Amino acid sequence: MFGEHAGFIIPSYIISFCAISGMAIFIMAQYKSRKQELKRLEEAGVKRRASND
Amino acid sequence: MSSETIKPSIWAFANPTRFMGFANKAIPVLVIITFLLLAVGLWLSFIAPEDYQQGYTVLIMFIHVPAAWLAMMTYSVMSISAIGTIVWRHPLADVSLRSAAPLGAMFTILALATGSLWGKPMWGTWWEWDARMTSVLVLLIIYLGLIALSKAFDEPSEAALPLAVMTLTGFAIIPIIKFSVDWWNTLHQPASVSRLDKPAMGPEFLYPLLIMALAYMAIFFTLHMMAMRNEILNRRIRTMKMSAARKQSVTIPNEGAT
Repeated sequence: MFGEHAGFIIPSYIISFCAISGMAIFIMAQYKSRKQELKRLEEAGVKRRASND
Repeated sequence: MSSETIKPSIWAFANPTRFMGFANKAIPVLVIITFLLLAVGLWLSFIAPEDYQQGYTVLIMFIHVPAAWLAMMTYSVMSISAIGTIVWRHPLADVSLRSAAPLGAMFTILALATGSLWGKPMWGTWWEWDARMTSVLVLLIIYLGLIALSKAFDEPSEAALPLAVMTLTGFAIIPIIKFSVDWWNTLHQPASVSRLDKPAMGPEFLYPLLIMALAYMAIFFTLHMMAMRNEILNRRIRTMKMSAARKQSVTIPNEGAT
C-alpha cells in the first residue's frame, strides 16, 4: 500500500496523529488537575476575592 | 437584528465566568464536529486517486497544507487577541493569546515535519533554505519566543501588554510566508488553491484538502477553547493561593501578639 513512498507517507500521518492527540491529552489532563486543585482549595475554605470571575 | 441586540450578546461572552459556561456547552459539540470532519476528510483523502506526477505522496498534501494554513491562522487569531489586549485591556484576550501560542507552534512543527517528509521523495532533499521554508521556521521561532515570554513573568497580567506588542510585531512574518512563493524563486509552487481565477488542482484533490483544512480548523477551535478554560482555571487558582497566603501572613503576626 502507498507504493514506494510508504516510508514517507505513513510517518507523516503518525507524526500528525501523535502531535494532535498528544496535545489534546495534555490539555485534558491539565484541565482535570486544575479542577482537582480548585476543589481542594475550595474545600480548604479558600475563596477568591472577586466572586464574579 | 439591530446592533443593540448584537453588541451586548457578544460582550457577554467576554466575561471569564460566562465564557466558562459557554465553553462547557460548546466543547462537546466542537469535538463531534471535529471527528465528523476528520472522518470525512480522511476518507476522501484515502480514496483520492494517485497523482500522475507525485503518486501516493499526494496523500501528504492533505495533512501538510492544512497544518501550514493553521500555523498562519493561529498567529492571526493571536494577533486579533493582541489587539483586544492593547485596545480594551481585556483579560480574556490575553487568555486567548497565551492559549493559542502552543497550538500554533504545534501546527508549525507539523507543517515543517510533514513538509520535510514530502520534500525528500519529491525534491530529493529534507530541507532547503528557500524563502517559504525559512520564513515558516522563523514563524516557529517567533511562537517559541512568545511562549517563553508568556512564562517569564510571575504575574500573568504584567506579561499581557509586552506579549501583545511582541505578537503584533511578529505578524509581519505572515504576509512574508504567504507571498514568499511570489516574491522569490522557491522550491514551492505558487498558490494553488487561493487564486483569483480557479484552483490549480482537480476536484478529486481539492475537496479532500478543503475538508481536511476544515477539520484542522475544528481541531484548533476545540483545543483553543479547552486551553483557554485551563488558563482561566490557572488564574483562579493563583488568585485563591495568593488570597490564602495574604490571609496567612496577616494571621501569623496577630497570633504571635496574643
